[in-house]
Amino acid sequence: MNKFMLAACAAASLMSLPALAEVVVVVNPKAAESTLGKEQVAQFFLGRSTAMTPIDQPDGTPLRAEFYKKVTDKDASQVKALWSKLVFTGKATMPKEVADSAAVKAAVAANPKAIGYIDKSAVDATVKVVYSAQ
Amino acid sequence: MNKKILASLLAFPLLAPAVQAQDNAVKISGFGTAALTRSDDARAEFARPNQANGSARKVRTGIDSNLGLQADYTVNNWLSLTAQGLVRQDAEEHYGAELSWAFARFRISDDVNVRVGRIGLPVFMISDYRNVGYANTMLRPPAEVYSQVPFNSADGADITWRHDLGNTSLTAQLAIGTNKTPLAGDLHVRGKDLVALNVAAENGPFTLRIGHARSKLTIDDSASLNTLVGGLRAAGAGYRLPELNALAGRIEAKDSKGTFSSIGLGVDWNNFVLQTEFAKRKTDTYINDTSSWYLMGGYRIGKFLPYYTRSELRIDDSIENTVPAACPAGYPAACTPTLMQLGNGVRRLPTTGVGQGEQTTDTIGVRWDFYRSMALKVQIDRIKPTGNGLFIHAEPGFNGPVTVGAVALDVVF
Repeated sequence: MNKFMLAACAAASLMSLPALAEVVVVVNPKAAESTLGKEQVAQFFLGRSTAMTPIDQPDGTPLRAEFYKKVTDKDASQVKALWSKLVFTGKATMPKEVADSAAVKAAVAANPKAIGYIDKSAVDATVKVVYSAQ
Repeated sequence: MNKKILASLLAFPLLAPAVQAQDNAVKISGFGTAALTRSDDARAEFARPNQANGSARKVRTGIDSNLGLQADYTVNNWLSLTAQGLVRQDAEEHYGAELSWAFARFRISDDVNVRVGRIGLPVFMISDYRNVGYANTMLRPPAEVYSQVPFNSADGADITWRHDLGNTSLTAQLAIGTNKTPLAGDLHVRGKDLVALNVAAENGPFTLRIGHARSKLTIDDSASLNTLVGGLRAAGAGYRLPELNALAGRIEAKDSKGTFSSIGLGVDWNNFVLQTEFAKRKTDTYINDTSSWYLMGGYRIGKFLPYYTRSELRIDDSIENTVPAACPAGYPAACTPTLMQLGNGVRRLPTTGVGQGEQTTDTIGVRWDFYRSMALKVQIDRIKPTGNGLFIHAEPGFNGPVTVGAVALDVVF
């Protein structure tokens, strides 16, 4: 591949970054829920409800930061401080963290009570989209 | 709680290697604070409640530093085990390790949980996580309120009920148990028939919490208290002054009733952060009846959170000195000086001893979330005690005000 092509590819991937940041919340296709509100999703990821099992993306990734900012209006450190209150009082354990969107899909596909978030482009038939973070 | 149960609860984390292969079985997590603290007055020591030593114009690491480790073991979908150990400087001279909690948690339903073992005692808004620096805005909980109950935990059980009403999440927790906590040196306080009720309502950025706790309190091994109570009884019997015996009974802490009621509000709305608590303590002993409160306000600017706190501790009621000023005519010559000495002892009670005294503090500080799971805090307190306030080892003539500065690095892992 010549240098021009490389540069064009790099530019294309840079331009596609904003589109990459579209986060969707997914559950198991067998789950009863067909749509969830922003507050409901936030409940599971802030440890306020144990009705569903949250699956997290790795700490420090843009997708995770984007998700928490849009769904809970909090940044990563605020969310961590909230969770440390729950964890160190023995009220809850931190959401399970998996490697990437593929691993989130696998975890959600394997557990009817699991809830995760992935990049919109990663959606396929193994999961059901219940919320789209705008 | 019986030692055998505690020991077997603690042994569970040791089973970890055997079950680690299983998904999600044992989780080890921890928190810690590395801090330097210094006061600007050499005539008294600044310390946290329950600490034997503090800073008197010396840079100290022990006041605000700690390390906590927790093991959570999920047995199945209705049973989990938690043990947490904490290392910090406490009522003994050096760093000591304590078992903060060790409990089995039974999930009765989505809404109801029961815990049995050593559990956090829910007397304050941040009771359970007051040692987790990272979970809090302020560098340390305001001593004016948090010195008022020495118990952090109870050996017993609690039941928590959680329910959603529309957008409001309601949590009610009832705890029962016993506790024994060292205060200073050999001095310790025992709590029997501890009952604590804690009700919290969370709605979006608002958390409202009310709590009430009661216990039968006993203070053992306090040489000065025993001398005073013994002296009053001896004089009461020897000089036939029954009012002295009655006074001794009011002062003594032997299965004496104590109550603590508090209300708190937390707000985390956009960039505004607010936290406030108001609390009243009442006891049937020499321990003062008090009112205490604090109000903290902060505003987030990016990763920085500057805050200001005002806190106050006031005595509502203390033991009245009812020792007669002099003995009736015809009594032995030693009688009146004895009464004067006893009277002085009674008068000093409200401002001496652990957690007695009045003071106010103005605090400014800033929290900086500079990296994942780490925060750096700088805090300056301007403390104005009445008498010795909550300062320890005060020299005669100490009257404050005292400025205390601290820098702390908080982590969770």
